[in-house]
Amino acid sequence: MQRLPGIGPKSAQRLALHLLKRPDAEVEALAKALLEAKQQVGTCQVCFHLSAEPVCEICRNPNRDRLTICVVADSRDVIALEKTREYRGRYHVLGGTISPMDGIGPDMLTVQPLIQRVQREGTREVILAIGPSVEGETTALYLSQLLKPFTRVTRIAFGLPVGGDLEYADEVTLARALEGRREMA
Amino acid sequence: MVSGGLIAGPIAVLGLVGLVMYLRRLHLRQFRNYGDRVIAFDAPKTILVGDNAQGKSNVLEAVELLATLQSHRTSRDGDLIQEGAAIATVQGQIERQSSGSMDLELILRRGGRRTVALNGQGLRRQADGLGTLNAVLFSCLDLELVRGGPERRRAWLDGLLLQLEPLYSHILGQYNRVLRQRNALLRQQVRGDRRGVTEPESTDDHAAELALWDAQLAIAAARVVRRRARALALLAPRAAAWHRDIGGGTETLDITYVPNGAIAPDLLEGNEGDRAIAVQQAYLSAIREKATAERHQGTSLVGPHRDDIDLRVNGVPARQFGSQGQQRTLVLALKLAELTTLEELLGEPPLLLLDDVLAELDLKRQDRLLGAIAERFQTLVTATHLGAFDGRWLDGARILTVRRGQIDATG
Repeated sequence: MQRLPGIGPKSAQRLALHLLKRPDAEVEALAKALLEAKQQVGTCQVCFHLSAEPVCEICRNPNRDRLTICVVADSRDVIALEKTREYRGRYHVLGGTISPMDGIGPDMLTVQPLIQRVQREGTREVILAIGPSVEGETTALYLSQLLKPFTRVTRIAFGLPVGGDLEYADEVTLARALEGRREMA
Repeated sequence: MVSGGLIAGPIAVLGLVGLVMYLRRLHLRQFRNYGDRVIAFDAPKTILVGDNAQGKSNVLEAVELLATLQSHRTSRDGDLIQEGAAIATVQGQIERQSSGSMDLELILRRGGRRTVALNGQGLRRQADGLGTLNAVLFSCLDLELVRGGPERRRAWLDGLLLQLEPLYSHILGQYNRVLRQRNALLRQQVRGDRRGVTEPESTDDHAAELALWDAQLAIAAARVVRRRARALALLAPRAAAWHRDIGGGTETLDITYVPNGAIAPDLLEGNEGDRAIAVQQAYLSAIREKATAERHQGTSLVGPHRDDIDLRVNGVPARQFGSQGQQRTLVLALKLAELTTLEELLGEPPLLLLDDVLAELDLKRQDRLLGAIAERFQTLVTATHLGAFDGRWLDGARILTVRRGQIDATG
């Protein structure tokens, strides 16, 4: 249990003891569900988001805007963005960010499929929704260089959390928000 | 004599001097050779007296840690934790004109991450604790500023910037991250070259990937170098003035920032946005020039991690210049400039920490230092004997005797 992300020794012990106390059927169902999920869930051929089908639900949905692609590092980011219910386009999951220290080069990400997809689908806008870390910025720079000849490329804004007081924001976030200021309409 | 750690002092001292006490109280737990000790500061000058290796400097180091989150003696947190203990804490009660009373705590863990808490609230980033307490440390190791390598001088300037500009810690961190990533990529390419991977497609990919990091390096380098140059421009005239004052006006001190990689120094002047672009461009062309050398060495050869600060007295590099006494004068001038620059920019006098340096300064230099401190700066001094320096240091000073991790008031 301790090998799972976010689980320390105490939580691991708690989970293990809890499972031991549950009825056999329940534990068996959980084990089966885990195994099935592992065997059945793969990645979508189009966007590389997690999917039990060859093409994921979002890519199959005819009501979603086919001309906008939101590029994220990880499937977790798709789930977070979907919760907003505000984005009506489709996604592309890179599978990480460029990081030579970790041996991750552009060739290990789904960059080539993205470029082919943009050319094939006649995408009008690619939104880069990658975090503002050094690696995220580098990956965004790389993608914008490659995609600019084919489509409009935008980057999501970074700044203050909504509902947050200015005085409680840290200096880095505030400086970033200042950098990304906008003209009033 | 007060036992049990708490040293209470006459509160009246505060009213008499009219100095807002800056660091009021320091609580060390399992820090170096201190088990659990509270030190109350109740006079503008506190002199810690004791033999070597009794724990005097540890107190100053604790204050340095609260101010800069760095120690000049070690970079390993394990060294700071008492033997056999897992956690050490340094807690300071700070009183400032600008923000009132604050409680800053640094928690060090053996084999774990440090955390910083302000008024009992854990901070998300350690660096958010910077600037709560401002201090200038002057120790015998500072002679290395003149004699040592460029990394000493860079670390000194970075230390000043960390206290002046809250954002600098982030900017420097980003630069170091880009540098590590770029070096990792260069090393991979060196290994690739040696393995004889020369397929044209693969080298093109490498070049494209390296170009990305070149661009990131140029942006991050420009940020670091412009802030360093700006801080040094504030500091240099003050240092030159102190140097004239201490040295009796016969010698001229010139301080210049020496950026590596053919960045013209005048490019670093001024504050306009287009200058930032020009500096980035200069870095990019410097990187292009060094491309072959970088490919052979597998490491980044251009950037502020290779810069230096040039110290010249009467036009001669200070490292080669004159006696140890003259070098001490120079270091003292640099430290006083640091002190007064911080005071002016923060609008409040920082704390001054003098670690075993008084005995090394002759009476004239001690006199200048005393004059500069006047009654404005709260000062913590360590010494092996009280007789080793000018008696005027003892005026209005609280004297604490340090012996094997015990601290007793004697004055």
